[in-house]
Amino acid sequence: MKLEVGYIDIKGIRFGDYNAVEDGILIVNPEPLLEPVLEDPLIKSAHFEIATPGESIRITPVKDVIEPRVKVEGSGGVFPGMISKVNTVGSGKTHVLRGMAVVTAGPIVGFQEGIIDMTGVGADYTPFSKLHNLVLVMEPVDNFKQHEYEAAARLAGLRTAVAIGELARDLVPDETVIYETPTVAETFKEEWKHLPRVGYVMMLQSQGLLHDTYVYGVDAKRTLSTMISATEVMDGAIVSGNCVSACDKNTTYHHQNNPVIHDLLAVHGKKINFVGTIITNENVYLDDKIRSSDWTSKMASYLSLDAAIISQEGFGNPDTDLIMNCTKLEKQGIKTVIITDEYAGQDGKSQSLADADELANAVVTGGNANEVVILPPLDRVIGTLDYVDTVAGGHAGSLRPDGSIEAELQIITGATNEMGFNRMSAR
Amino acid sequence: MVKEIERTGIPVVHMCTVTPISMTVGANRIVPTIAIPHPLGNPELPLDEEYALRRKLVDKALEALSTEVDDQTIFEV
Repeated sequence: MKLEVGYIDIKGIRFGDYNAVEDGILIVNPEPLLEPVLEDPLIKSAHFEIATPGESIRITPVKDVIEPRVKVEGSGGVFPGMISKVNTVGSGKTHVLRGMAVVTAGPIVGFQEGIIDMTGVGADYTPFSKLHNLVLVMEPVDNFKQHEYEAAARLAGLRTAVAIGELARDLVPDETVIYETPTVAETFKEEWKHLPRVGYVMMLQSQGLLHDTYVYGVDAKRTLSTMISATEVMDGAIVSGNCVSACDKNTTYHHQNNPVIHDLLAVHGKKINFVGTIITNENVYLDDKIRSSDWTSKMASYLSLDAAIISQEGFGNPDTDLIMNCTKLEKQGIKTVIITDEYAGQDGKSQSLADADELANAVVTGGNANEVVILPPLDRVIGTLDYVDTVAGGHAGSLRPDGSIEAELQIITGATNEMGFNRMSAR
Repeated sequence: MVKEIERTGIPVVHMCTVTPISMTVGANRIVPTIAIPHPLGNPELPLDEEYALRRKLVDKALEALSTEVDDQTIFEV
């Protein structure tokens, strides 16, 4: 598949009385954008706030982060099966509003939503502090059911991102990049014969109970492992619908900009032969874990891979899916590198993963999610601080009287991302 | 917890869904259960069938508890 992605750089967001992108500035007129959001009977109220990098702003509880995109040419529309019709995406031309995101926030859905600080220590840990954020703050009606509120909040965020993305349809991109994925036959061509055949195994959170991911609108826990083109992922074929710990949740933005995919494509045909992407789930039945990892290893074998990179989402029992995927590939002679994060205790001395195997001998870690950070008080809160003590990573007393927060890294959206999205490192 | 209790001389059966983790952490007697959100039951079954399932799991656990083992053992239900 061949996808031309035109990036339009967003340098700021401001409110106005019309919706448009002018000279890199997104102008937002809230009323027409909020209309479809408020049509949902579960959403009592909604409004927008703007957060700019460097501002003294704390956004919480953050549910999802979404990059506005629009399909300009080719079949389908962004977020197929979820917002657009289910038709295949990944070909043609897509415009991206780069440097900004739609962030959904508001009273909590589950107990695992996060914080984005736009300045200070917290900002260093989340990639989203570097974006111009249009925050959609929603409040549900009373007596809602959690899963229905989750769906309503998820769809509201996606609809808003689609409406914003639509503003970029006729713009001239600042940069255009062509991404192309080969057919299996093409991967055997002579000039790539000397390159190692590398695949990407993308594990999707699918534990249920507000821990779900959607592929073309299908709940990933109801799927067998399958293949997807890297360019389909860029067009929003995979959408986050979950409240796993904020630090290692793969938001929709992470999927749209999956760094493993981008890095593999960048060296494809030069250092490696990027054969394809396998998606697999992380379910709560042992049989599912065995079946899905078996299926992953069968597909890796069909593709004659020499090596694979495996990325994860969440932690705990998904560590077993990770280790099964890793060991089953390794036992077929397919070398693996796993990307994960660690829950090694606040002192870093405990076992990092719930499961382990000596075949998992090449590991990239996003960091220790239990590490304690102290976030300074910030001037403005978008959303509410009501849940800081109770979300994963917080504890009774996390929110201190002066407005500072003492919590584990878990609480920061994207802090220990298991696609390797972040740039912080340690020696 | 399994290992600490066993260290005092009391045998333990670890009933859990993800048996590979139980093996990794070193439990000796392991009984596989239904699913992570509902290890000892299945809300999709009618009440009488679920009761029978729960009874079977507990019986298996008691059997495991009274069985001598030389190595880590999974007692399939």
